[in-house]
Amino acid sequence: MMHPDRTPKILAGMMAIVAFSGCTTSTVQDVRRGDTGIGDGEAIVIMGKSYHLGNETESKYIQCVEDAIAQGREGLRVIPRKEFVDSLFPWFEPRTAPAETKNLAKLMTRPGVAEKIAEQNIRYIVWLAGDTEKVAGGGSMSCAAGPGGGGCFGFAWWQKDADYDASVWDLNGLESAGTVSTDVSGKSFMPALVIPLPFIARTQAKACHTLADQLHSFITDEETI
Amino acid sequence: MNKVKCTPLAALLLAALISGCAGNVKLATPTIPSPLTDKIPISVGLRMPANFDYFVHEESVFGREEWTINLGNSNASLFKQLFGHMFDRVTLVGANDDPSLMDIDALVEPSIDAFEFSTPGQSKTDSFAVWIRYRLKVFDQAGTLVSNWPVSAYGKSQTTAMNKSDALHRAAILAMRDAAALMIIKFDEVTGIGKLGRPAPAASTPVAMPISDAVDGDAVQSHALEESPDDAS
Repeated sequence: MMHPDRTPKILAGMMAIVAFSGCTTSTVQDVRRGDTGIGDGEAIVIMGKSYHLGNETESKYIQCVEDAIAQGREGLRVIPRKEFVDSLFPWFEPRTAPAETKNLAKLMTRPGVAEKIAEQNIRYIVWLAGDTEKVAGGGSMSCAAGPGGGGCFGFAWWQKDADYDASVWDLNGLESAGTVSTDVSGKSFMPALVIPLPFIARTQAKACHTLADQLHSFITDEETI
Repeated sequence: MNKVKCTPLAALLLAALISGCAGNVKLATPTIPSPLTDKIPISVGLRMPANFDYFVHEESVFGREEWTINLGNSNASLFKQLFGHMFDRVTLVGANDDPSLMDIDALVEPSIDAFEFSTPGQSKTDSFAVWIRYRLKVFDQAGTLVSNWPVSAYGKSQTTAMNKSDALHRAAILAMRDAAALMIIKFDEVTGIGKLGRPAPAASTPVAMPISDAVDGDAVQSHALEESPDDAS
């Protein structure tokens, strides 16, 4: 039970979080190409598309999606990508990883590959692509400090866009099950009247959780085409 | 008294200023996982240059940042692990050893042609990138150069807010791992080293054989009948 003395503090904290957040808008969509569903004990792997192909997906974003999709009572079994890549060396390195599902059949014929995937009971590989970029910004702010103290005056703002796609490969049929994509735009502000007050939009975190939630539904819903 | 108190503070400030303009990276030994490929069924000699044990790269970026990347013996470690995974038997050949007196099918001499990197400031991204160009010379049993293969490898890693050196370290390790993957997949196809194996002696001929070879004898026979690893997908 919550202690009554703590209630105002918790409320104040929650208000501060709301007040100090910038605003975000998000869209999420999926395109289904095959049947999905996941059995007991089956696992997924979340990978970033190769930087050899020009992809810039941030490691911390991949980690965030991994964590988000694995957590909770209905979390999926996620094989850490380093463990997966090491176990299948050298076939999932940035240089050698299959870029299209049509390459999967040949990959499965290589010595030990199908066995390693079966051993880890991996049903889906999810390939993330995209990144978060600052797309606009403006305003001005100046700060000064002297013997008697210091302070900042002005107003600054910036906008970040997070666009990510997740391609879901079904290893049962060696085909694409579809894609899930999210597009989040976040605007942050920082007015300063002596003390700067940052209102930061958590654009990438929002894109992570939006994509993870949709991806979870996409995989677990036993939908057929 | 004041002077004594200020000196460590000044030293700390100076260190902070210097660390803002310079970076030192010392590579840990890379670990190359055991690959899911068949070994090439020959016995090779591996002769590494002296700088594989203490390679240091120093570079000044636009005269603002000084970087020192100490690869230490990571190249030597990389090639020892890699060749151990790739070939049935590997013998380290010293600078003064005569390979023609050794029981090997081929001699491989790796070297580094170039080591380059880019900083986030140069690439206008938040990543460090490392390029390493190795050169692999393959000699047959008679000492004739049969292949001269340049291997270009690339690694890239994003910076974190606090530590740029870590990102450069990761990029260098990824470049070495990239080289390893390329060599595992393409070595035989590009250099034809698998064809340098001597024909197996007749079964009736008694031959002195190392214990490891005797254990793997069946596997060696079956590998010889299989085709070489294909191209990467």
